[in-house]
Parts: sequence; structure tokens; C-alpha cells
Amino acid sequence: MLPLSEEQKLVRDTVRAFAREELWPLAPAYDESGEYPWPQLGKLAELGLLGMATPEAWGGAGMDAVSWALALEELAYADPSVAVIVSVTSGLPQYMLLKFGTDEQKERFLKPLARGEWIGAFALTEPQAGSDPAALKTRARRVEGGWVLSGTKAWITSAGQAQLYVVMARTGEERKAITAFLVLKDDPGLSFGLPEAKMGLHAAHTAELRLEEVFVPDERVLGEVGRGLSHALAGLDSGRIGIAAQAVGIAQAAFDIARDYADEREQFGRKIRDFEGVGFKLAELDTKIAAARHLVWSAARRKDAGGRFTLEAARAKLFATDTAVTATREAIQVLGANGYHKDYRVERYYRDAKVTEIYEGTSEIQKLVIARELYR
Amino acid sequence: MKFVAIIRQVPDGEAKLREEGGRIDLSGATMILDQMDEYAVEEILQLKEKHGGEAVIVAFGPERTKEAIRTALAMGADRAVFVKHEGDADPITEAKALAKVLAEEAPTVVFTGGQQADWDSYALGPAVAEALGWPSVAWTTAFELEDETQATAQHDLDEGAQRVRVRLPAVLTTQQGLNEPRYPTLPGIMKAKKKEIKEIPAEELGVTGTKVEILSQAIVKIERKQKILDGTKEPEKAAEELVRLLHEEAKVI
Repeated sequence: MLPLSEEQKLVRDTVRAFAREELWPLAPAYDESGEYPWPQLGKLAELGLLGMATPEAWGGAGMDAVSWALALEELAYADPSVAVIVSVTSGLPQYMLLKFGTDEQKERFLKPLARGEWIGAFALTEPQAGSDPAALKTRARRVEGGWVLSGTKAWITSAGQAQLYVVMARTGEERKAITAFLVLKDDPGLSFGLPEAKMGLHAAHTAELRLEEVFVPDERVLGEVGRGLSHALAGLDSGRIGIAAQAVGIAQAAFDIARDYADEREQFGRKIRDFEGVGFKLAELDTKIAAARHLVWSAARRKDAGGRFTLEAARAKLFATDTAVTATREAIQVLGANGYHKDYRVERYYRDAKVTEIYEGTSEIQKLVIARELYR
Repeated sequence: MKFVAIIRQVPDGEAKLREEGGRIDLSGATMILDQMDEYAVEEILQLKEKHGGEAVIVAFGPERTKEAIRTALAMGADRAVFVKHEGDADPITEAKALAKVLAEEAPTVVFTGGQQADWDSYALGPAVAEALGWPSVAWTTAFELEDETQATAQHDLDEGAQRVRVRLPAVLTTQQGLNEPRYPTLPGIMKAKKKEIKEIPAEELGVTGTKVEILSQAIVKIERKQKILDGTKEPEKAAEELVRLLHEEAKVI
């Protein structure tokens, strides 16, 4: 393993202790009820976990990206729904505000997000604009003192619960004439769909965002007019490290359950771990998980160094999310019929894992990004 | 006022330990701040928050103990004094060295774990008090500072509890129920790296070796008997046998 600093280890150990004590026991119940985990998020806010990567001057904890990834992995290990909410609020809106926001915007919007008083959401996807975000149809019409937004956003994590939405809308005729806006939950004309009935991540609500003539004043334009798509893609580079870390946490949790089970379960008079079919499977998964973790750390280190990290983030997300789906599926296989039962948790990790290959850029889009980076 | 918690680093209770040549191999084990000492840290933080003053960590152990010290500092303690010692040391030897640090620090009150998760001697707190000639209250579940010279404490016994008034300075040892230790916060972790850890080699405090030498260590192995009684043919006899086994062998009824 690449070495971690004393402080990074302390972050990991602290979040691990907290998550296994406070999140792990309740994760199955949240999956069952589909309730948004506000009480859990409140505890995270107290520890400073909702604004981990935002500098102290703006209400955050000022942690490096490696610490952020370590924390997300530990949160995902205990409850992947909580992890994705944290990854989105800190990786996307907070990161974009920090990078593109004015000091006044940081004061008004970044601080409450970083302190964990607010949850933030990122609204790029539309029913007809997923992997091709430049095809988005939500329009912003120029009026005196601001813009009026109309359109529908789909698959928005924390929609209906979050207080702040970074909404990308079309501000011109060319394909990429898109601008990022800061929309608040109480803005007149903004409404939400019911939480979607998803395969997994039940506690992390995902819903439609409907904008009907929503007035957004000029001071809530984020970054440059017409540069919104590029700002959003920069946000996604950061967000992808978070999702990759979430995937590693899910994979490790399912793997640990399978490893322990194989050490207890006996068939044909011996522990099933002693059968090559099981032992080799575990060996392969362990190797994949270690490799995925290294890719995540390497992307995070690149981000900390201040350079471009588009390629590293895409690699980490592609490999870690594939690892999560493989590890959770194979963990079920190791547990046999018990793995198919809710009591053993691995079926939930499998359901939670699948979407990591889809959101914040599908695996196919990651390959597209990597292929482009090769000739950049 | 000054409040001190004595801490040590021990293997995590859930860590998988291995025997290696008659000794417990700790190299692969997760090491943590002793959970009984965590109550001590929480108690001095609460005392500081309520009465003002300083919360100081005093630690004894090898280099790796610094991880536990950082945890205590991240929880909110102000600074630490670290008596560094590689290798074994018995509780009386440790207590004598720690007493020298405490005599210099001159705290209002000292807390430490009621027992130690690694050696389980129960001796460290009382031995520190003895070395300083200070009073000692063991297994406290409640503590109330009255003023700088005295405090009341609750001391739990097997079949009841005692309330006592103790002259200060004193050494108190913790018991589960004393408080609910906080998690370090991320801003706390960031601040911890800037806090002072004063390192003192144990030899400078007169530690020359251990007076109790560990010859070998072994891990208790719990074998499951997995006795299965066939109750399908003669259920009454099987039930009688079950009662006999529970009574005579398992000794639970």
C-alpha cells in the first residue's frame, strides 16, 4: 500500500470507527424504509464530514483529496447511500463554488454547505440528455436583473431534500452555450418529483427537478455565462474520485463479509475457503480491490498536487466501479443461498454497487474520456 | 486549573492477534487509544469546558503511542507529554516514571483507565497515586469538581455504589458509564497536528528495565464442543441429558 500520512490515517480510523458504530447498524433499515437519512447526516455534520475538502476559511475542514477519498470509502463501507449524498454535496456543489464562485457566493452558499447546515445537489442530467449533456433543453431567458429558468432535470441526487441546486441551463443557441446557476429550494417555480423507485441506494433520494419560470438573480450565476458545461465537467472530475472511493468501500464491505463467511462455513467436511474455487475467487477480488484503491489514491494525489486529473479520475471510476459490481456479485456467490438473503447484507451491496457504473458518467463515458485523454 | 489524562495505546479488541514464538505479534494488529483511557480523555475535556483551564495528555509507551496521542489531541486536548519507552515495563515502573511528570505538571486532578486492555493489571492509576502520595478513587462512574481542593465521585461496587468526597490532587480511574467519549472532528484532526507533544525518554525518568518480565504469552483458544442431542426418539431422556449438561458442564443453570 502507498503510505498514508499520520493525519490521513487518523481521518480514516476516525471515520471508520464512527461509520461502523453509527451508520452500519442502521443501513439495512434505511434501505428498507427509503427514508432520507437526515439524522445520520446531522451526525456527519457535527464531525465536519460534510465539508471535508472545503478550506477552513469557508467553513470546511480543509482536508486533502486523499483524506476525502479515505473518508468516503469508510462511509460507503457502512452505508453507500450516505456516502453518495456526501460525495455529491462535497464533490460537486462545494467544489464548483470553491473553484468558480465569487467571495460573496462562497460566503452565502459555500459556508452553509461546508458546515453541513445545507445539503447541495448537482442538476445537469435531463430526461433526454444523459451521456450527452450538451443536448440539454432547460433554458435560461435573460430578464432585467437576472435569468428565468424553465425545464426539467432528471435523476438528481438529494432532489427535494437539498437546499441548493447547481443547475446547468442553456443561455444561447450554440450547442455549448450553457451556464451554471445557483437555485435555492424555496425559489418560486421550483418543484420536485417523488423519489424514483430504484434498485438500490434507497435512502439517497433521486428525483426530478422541475423549473417553471424560476427567476434567478445575476448574483447567482456560478462562474462565467456560457461556460457552465465546462464548469460542470470540471466538477465531475472531482465527483468521480468520490464515486470511485464509494465503489471501493462497497467492494471492501462485501468482500469482508464473504472472506469471513468462507472461514466459518464448512461443506464436504472442511472450510469452504480451502476449496480452490472459493480461495482463488477471494484472491482475485482482494487484488482488484487493492488495485482500485491505488487508482483512487493516485487520482486524489494528482488533484492535491494541483494539476489536471481528468484522466486519473476517469481511470479510477472505471476500474473501481467495475470492481464493486464484480466483488458484490461474487460475494453473493460465496455465500450461496445465504448471500441471496437480506440478513447477510451482500445482496444490498450488489444493488447499491450497480449504479456506480452509471452515475457521474457511465463506464462507457469514462472510456470515452480516457481515449480522448490519450491523444490530448 | 489543569486536568490530566494518562493514556496508553493497546490492540483493538476486535483485532486478530497472532502468536509468534511465545509472544503476541502486534505488528499486524490495529492499535488504538485504550477505550478505558478514552473515558479519561472525555472527562478532562468536559472538566475543561466547564471550569476552564488546560486539558493535558500524559502517555507512556513505544513510538507508535503517538497515534493514540494524536487521537486524544484531535478529540480536543491542548497538549501532550509523552514518556517514550520501547519494550516491556511493569505498571509500578510505569507509574513511578509518570509520577515524576505529574509532580512537575501539578494538575488539579488526574484520570486514567480503570483497567488496561493489554495487561489488565488494574494497577496503573492507584500506583501513580501511591507514588505521589495522592488519594485514589477507582472505577468512577460520576465526578463533580467542587473547587480546586475537593471533588465528589461515585465509585461502583459489584452490588451497589458509593459516593465519596476526595481531596485534590487525586488520581481517579474510569469505569464504563462515566461519560460518552466524543469522536474526533475533522477540524480537530487538522488542529491536532499543530499541538505540542513533549517527548521524554523513559530512561531520563529512571526507567532502567522492567521488574516483571514477560516470559511467554498465549492466546486463549475457545473450542466449540458442538454437542448435538438427538431428541427425535426419546425426547424426555434427551431433555434430561440437556439439563444435566447445562448444569454440570456448562454450569449455566
